[in-house]
Amino acid sequence: MIIENVLAAFGAIFAVKTLALMALGVAGGLIAGAIPGFTIAMAVVLTLPFTFSMPPEQGLATMVSVLVGGLSGGLMAGILTGIPGTPSSVATTFDGFPMARKGRPGLALGLGVWSSFFGGIFSAICLMTLAPQLARIGLEFHPWDYFMLVMFALTITASLAGKHLVKGLIAGALGLFVRTIGEDDAAGMARFDFGSEVLLSGFDFIAVLIGLFAFSQLLSDVRDPEVARQSLAERGTVKAKIEHLAAIKEIGKRWTVVVRSATIGVFTGILPGAGGSVANILAYDQAKKASKTPEKFGTGTPEGIIAPESSNNAVEGGALITLMALGIPGDVTAAVMLGALLIHDVIPSPNFIRDNPVLAYSIFTAFFIATFMMIGMQSFMLRVFVLVTRIRMYMLACVILGFCGIGVFALHNVTFDLWTLLWFGILGFVMRQFGFPLAPMILGVVLGNIAELNLARALAITSDLTPFFTRPWALFFLIVALFSALFPLFQEHRGRRKWTLFYLPFACFAASGPLYMMGGVVRPVLGTILIAFAGFVLWRRAKAGWQLEAPLEHAVVSDEV
Amino acid sequence: MVHFNRDSIVAVLLLLASGVLFWASFDIREPDYGALMPSTWPRIIIIVLAVLSLVYLVQSLRAGPDEGVAQSASGRTPGLAGFIAYWRNPLICFAMFFAFLITLPVLGMLIGGVSFVFLLMNLLGGWEPKRLVIHAVVALATVGSMWSLFTFGLGVMLPAGEIFNPFAL
Repeated sequence: MIIENVLAAFGAIFAVKTLALMALGVAGGLIAGAIPGFTIAMAVVLTLPFTFSMPPEQGLATMVSVLVGGLSGGLMAGILTGIPGTPSSVATTFDGFPMARKGRPGLALGLGVWSSFFGGIFSAICLMTLAPQLARIGLEFHPWDYFMLVMFALTITASLAGKHLVKGLIAGALGLFVRTIGEDDAAGMARFDFGSEVLLSGFDFIAVLIGLFAFSQLLSDVRDPEVARQSLAERGTVKAKIEHLAAIKEIGKRWTVVVRSATIGVFTGILPGAGGSVANILAYDQAKKASKTPEKFGTGTPEGIIAPESSNNAVEGGALITLMALGIPGDVTAAVMLGALLIHDVIPSPNFIRDNPVLAYSIFTAFFIATFMMIGMQSFMLRVFVLVTRIRMYMLACVILGFCGIGVFALHNVTFDLWTLLWFGILGFVMRQFGFPLAPMILGVVLGNIAELNLARALAITSDLTPFFTRPWALFFLIVALFSALFPLFQEHRGRRKWTLFYLPFACFAASGPLYMMGGVVRPVLGTILIAFAGFVLWRRAKAGWQLEAPLEHAVVSDEV
Repeated sequence: MVHFNRDSIVAVLLLLASGVLFWASFDIREPDYGALMPSTWPRIIIIVLAVLSLVYLVQSLRAGPDEGVAQSASGRTPGLAGFIAYWRNPLICFAMFFAFLITLPVLGMLIGGVSFVFLLMNLLGGWEPKRLVIHAVVALATVGSMWSLFTFGLGVMLPAGEIFNPFAL
């Protein structure tokens, strides 16, 4: 079944025009990802209007290509200038930049590029095989479960704000509220329009996303007049030739790092809210812990580049799994992709893959092909990147602001969207300055109507509220939401307080309960595995005399907004 | 003694906003049908927002005053002049984008867009003659090509304005 769908999807994608557009998309994504301040999400949004007139397969393939290119573009700036192009490549700079400074920029780039490629391929395979399975599970979800899934997504995203958990939750609540403005979907009643006709239709969520995220980011980048007048070329060496063969050999010797990091990436991507900015740090930390020479990390060791780059490219495959199978975006970029899918009349849901297999597999196949295109185009785009680095930051910011204006207007041909861009740009900028994470707010805006719709459906079935806490899936999401809310506290106290030794085992014990309630064979077995794992962890810690663990060297905090 | 800092001010503003929004939720008309009234979900969110803002207020009051420390750490001089000097570039960007939107019906996307990018680059990058030429070329080339692509390539009707209407040609 999967093979038939993949073959049909290849037939749909393998047209000269589609492939040419995909190549353009990868090239654009590579450059967008390489420019600090110009993010992948922004590149996807700016591509969106160009795809309106295309058939869905072609348009979505182009956007997926921009996404894949953007994921790999961040490493160029990170390795050559020490300034990560995207938050997903922060950890790449820890060893990439030192290696480049030591005179091996070509090897550093090669390691980054090929690790990205292998991570991308791994995640594309996972996407093709896991998304239909997850969609099958998604068919079991009832409105109570979906509502709790949204709450879990918001809680985990807020918890990644670290010690600013309350600010993260406030941002999430603000996002949910923004989505209520305008006519409500069920009864068509005006809400919070304050007598304004334009507010009746609510805020377009793509304009809100761009304002909150892109507009505010650009203004933060040009805040310092001195830095704004600098070009990237003034901050580091940007001349290099990618050493492909040497890089492949190095990666071949360390294939376990690739597999482990890509697995971390895929599973981080599947989790709602946790994106590449979390995965690359987690993978880096795990690689360091597993290394026989951890002291070399930070000085330009190959594992320090392989781990973050394999994981951050694998993240988007994972995020697309959740997006395509459940309609829940895994991170901000996936949220923008959701907007793009909706504009093309593609409504991701558990039924979508079953009802539109060719279109669904075209998206998966495009992800796969774009990863191959990325590897082919990196060398050429590196030359373009060298040219781009000569441009001063303020010029880039001004031009991108202009493009954002044109792009946002073109979404619906409505001037109000431009005002939305401005007001939410100001709001996003102010929130950044006050330390509010924007990712929960963005997910709140995206998921707000899904939460309300499912709450309405649940209450239409019964006014009894207990299914929110007694249905297995709803209970499962509630438990993981509670433990994710405690995560910042765990992170803060890890290595200092005894109770942190019980956090993981207790989370496993608690999560196993709903798995038993689900019945069947596989899930109770999974529940048993979780209990066995929790018991093993407790036994090992008891044997070690309840010795405190070393905390993560790099805090797992998402600044991917 | 109560120690106010910038976080506590934000928390108070959030609490006030929650109050205003909760009050505004009573303007939502309630239909005779449906299990979930149109005002219920927003009210749940506003109550959650108010509770979280209260927690935020308590946390910020416990933290004590930090404004002076934050300002000196960021290299910002106190007072309105210091504020404007520190945030000069973002304030210019907001003001220019506002001006771009206000003049859009008259100038249209092409002239307005080119003017916006050109003026903004001058304001952020300087007005030296050489830069003026570079800025003009960059603004014309980038916005012009994007405008052409949307208008002629994709058939998007961008705002034409009153000065120059290419669709009337």
